[in-house]
Amino acid sequence: MRQILLITDGCSNVGDSPAIAASIAQAEGISVNVVGIVDEGGIGEQGALEIAEIARAGGGMSRIVSPALLSRTVQMMTRQTVQGTIRGEVNRELRQLFGVESAAELPPDKRAEIVRVMEDLGETAELRVALLIDASASMKPKMRAVEEAVRDLALSLQARRGESAVAVFHFPGERSHEACLLDLDWTDRADRIGPIFGRISMKGTTPTGPALLRVVEFFRETCGKLETEPQHTAPARRDDTDGMRSDYVV
Amino acid sequence: MTTSSDARVPAGTVLRGKWNGRSYRLERMLGIGANGQVYMAVSGLRTYALKIGMQLEDLQAEANVLASLDGRERKRPPFLLDVDDAEWQGRLLPFYVMQYVPGVPVKTYLAEHGGAWYGVVGYRLLNRLSELHAAGWVFGDVKSDNILVTDYGRVSLVDYGGMTAMGRSVRQFTEVYDRGYWSAGSRTADPSYDVFSVAVLWIHALDGKRLLHMTKMLLPQNRHPRELMALVRSHAELKKMENWMELALYGKFKDAREASAHWRDRMRAAAEEAVHNSRGKVPGWMAGLFAASLLLCVSAAAFWLLQ
Repeated sequence: MRQILLITDGCSNVGDSPAIAASIAQAEGISVNVVGIVDEGGIGEQGALEIAEIARAGGGMSRIVSPALLSRTVQMMTRQTVQGTIRGEVNRELRQLFGVESAAELPPDKRAEIVRVMEDLGETAELRVALLIDASASMKPKMRAVEEAVRDLALSLQARRGESAVAVFHFPGERSHEACLLDLDWTDRADRIGPIFGRISMKGTTPTGPALLRVVEFFRETCGKLETEPQHTAPARRDDTDGMRSDYVV
Repeated sequence: MTTSSDARVPAGTVLRGKWNGRSYRLERMLGIGANGQVYMAVSGLRTYALKIGMQLEDLQAEANVLASLDGRERKRPPFLLDVDDAEWQGRLLPFYVMQYVPGVPVKTYLAEHGGAWYGVVGYRLLNRLSELHAAGWVFGDVKSDNILVTDYGRVSLVDYGGMTAMGRSVRQFTEVYDRGYWSAGSRTADPSYDVFSVAVLWIHALDGKRLLHMTKMLLPQNRHPRELMALVRSHAELKKMENWMELALYGKFKDAREASAHWRDRMRAAAEEAVHNSRGKVPGWMAGLFAASLLLCVSAAAFWLLQ
């Protein structure tokens, strides 16, 4: 399962439509969630509309929250998206196998079985979440909350049975042709995440669309390769018995 | 979506189960959880607690947990009594029905009956948790609202939305009670996850104001068990359990059974200390009376001698 989580506080102003980019992501099997992060005041009607639209195009959800609620929101969205993806899959199987529209059409005892399977899949399926952080000037005071949310998410993913990893990008990049920059490569170790955004020079432009496309590419480069490579380069299976987990870098 | 229900269902509404056919009249709302609403409901002559889920699969997952627990703990009456869907105003409301548990949240109970009750309430709570652990479950969302106390400190756990099979990621938790939030360990369900939350519960219940102030002021990188211990050491009632708190917050208890045995020992020690401290000391009122009678005696003698 693959997710992009976009954290922003305003509108895109450079490059292609972010909704188109989000739709491309979804076509590649990546859900796009969006969090609008606001202090006082609000995010503006334009910003709120764009956030909702990106999420709809990317098959994900959107929320607008204060920095204090960011960790909780990121956590909740990731979890719900995992469950949503699995429910979608399982319900499709149900349609094909039994001709029922969803688990709701089954009596409670059958449903209990289906939900048990969904829960197992949700806990054990491989999960990758790439966070894409808007680093325009107005985001500066919120970056501490963003770092905290990344660490908190990594901690939660680390607790799952299935392989999980987070990566972090910010946008725009340093040079004009870079839509976004990788700050943290795939990792599943919350305690190894040091300061993430040490040296960002906050800029004015917000190329949300191009940045989203770049992250989709990153998924293709890193995770796509993983599937075609021979077995021995795949990360070692998590062993729950000894509590030691190998560092997981693709 | 046709299965979601964010809106309240008004009291007096009768829900009729689509599959099992039982009817329930909603009396009043008892609480709103992260994924549903709990009502007091009546069916026939009996009162139940009925939970309406916002999301069918979430609700069923919770019902599965209760069913599994009922299967393990056969000596007591079952928690889970019915699982069904009802149609209401064109929407499908998934619900399940449990025993109705009277009682008030721990924090309220201690506020009403005095902090001295926390010893026995804590002991009963740890015992209940160790039963769950023995059955392979971690409660997960230990917090004041999820622990109801009835007469003489008897404890019932409600809201099993956080209950997680040992070794999996905790399904639902509350930030301030979460071991991960305090950089004190992982969010993987194990017995010491619950024990940690129990320690925070007592700080919250007895010194809530300072705890909440601290969570607002502390920078995320400074969240650490030592900060919680600083609160424990500077509170008279909590300090009695200092040693236990330290072991719990630093994850040193093997399981809830060990934590419960240690808690009982600390309770006994604290009671003995209290007796010890009062022995040899004469209560103030007695000393006062003695002084007054002495004065009366001397003045009477003086009066008699001088006559």
